[in-house]
Amino acid sequence: MSIDFDSQLRLFVYRHTIRTGRVPTVAETARLSGSTVRQVRSGLLRLSKSHAFMLQENGELWRVAPFSAIPTPFPVHVGKKFWFGNCIWDALGIPAMLGKDAHISASCGCCNDQMPVEVKSGQLSAGEGIIHIAVPAREWYKDVVFT
Amino acid sequence: MLLFRSEQHIDRWCQQWNRSRGGTLSLAQGWKLAQLWYGDRLNPRWQPKSAAEAEKAFAEVGLVGEFWKLE
Repeated sequence: MSIDFDSQLRLFVYRHTIRTGRVPTVAETARLSGSTVRQVRSGLLRLSKSHAFMLQENGELWRVAPFSAIPTPFPVHVGKKFWFGNCIWDALGIPAMLGKDAHISASCGCCNDQMPVEVKSGQLSAGEGIIHIAVPAREWYKDVVFT
Repeated sequence: MLLFRSEQHIDRWCQQWNRSRGGTLSLAQGWKLAQLWYGDRLNPRWQPKSAAEAEKAFAEVGLVGEFWKLE
C-alpha cells in the first residue's frame, strides 16, 4: 500500500537529516524529491499542524522533532555525525529514534556547566541532573521557546 | 525543556527569567519518555499522538497530575 504525499515528505525530510546531518531547505527538498516548491511548502505547512515539524517565518523548517534546523545548546553526537536537539527531551529523542549510541553535550540551563549525557545499548549510561519543563503540557505549543 | 545541575539551579533560572516553577523529571524518566515519544518516528505510517495517548506515555514514566494533562 502506498503512503500519501505528506507521509513521503515527512520521511524524506527525516532521512535527509539523518544522512547528511542537516535539515533540508524547501528548495532542496523539492529538487531532490521530484516535487515542486509549492507542493513542498503546502506539505510542510500541513505537517506543521502536528508540531512535529515547525516552520520559521520564512517558511523553512525550524524543528523536525527531535532535530533542530538551527544550532542549539543540545548537540548530539552519534559516531562521526552530529545533530542539534531542540531541548534535552529532543536530544534524548535522537538516539531513541535512531536506536544508536550517542553523546549529548548538554549543559546546565542556569550556569552553562557541562553536563554530558551518554546513551549506550539502549540505556542511559552516564549523565546526571534534573529536567525542568517550564510550561504545563497543554500550553507547550503556545510558548515553545520557554517549554 | 532544560537540564539543570540541581533544584537550586532550577530556582535560580526561574528567578532570572521571572517564570513560575514548572514540572520536573529525572534524566532516567526523560530517556524513557524520549523512547516512547520518538521510538516509532521513522515508521512510514507514524501519526501524532492523541492527547490521550500522550497522557498515557507521561503516566508510563510516572508523570501524572494537572501539569501533565492535555485534555
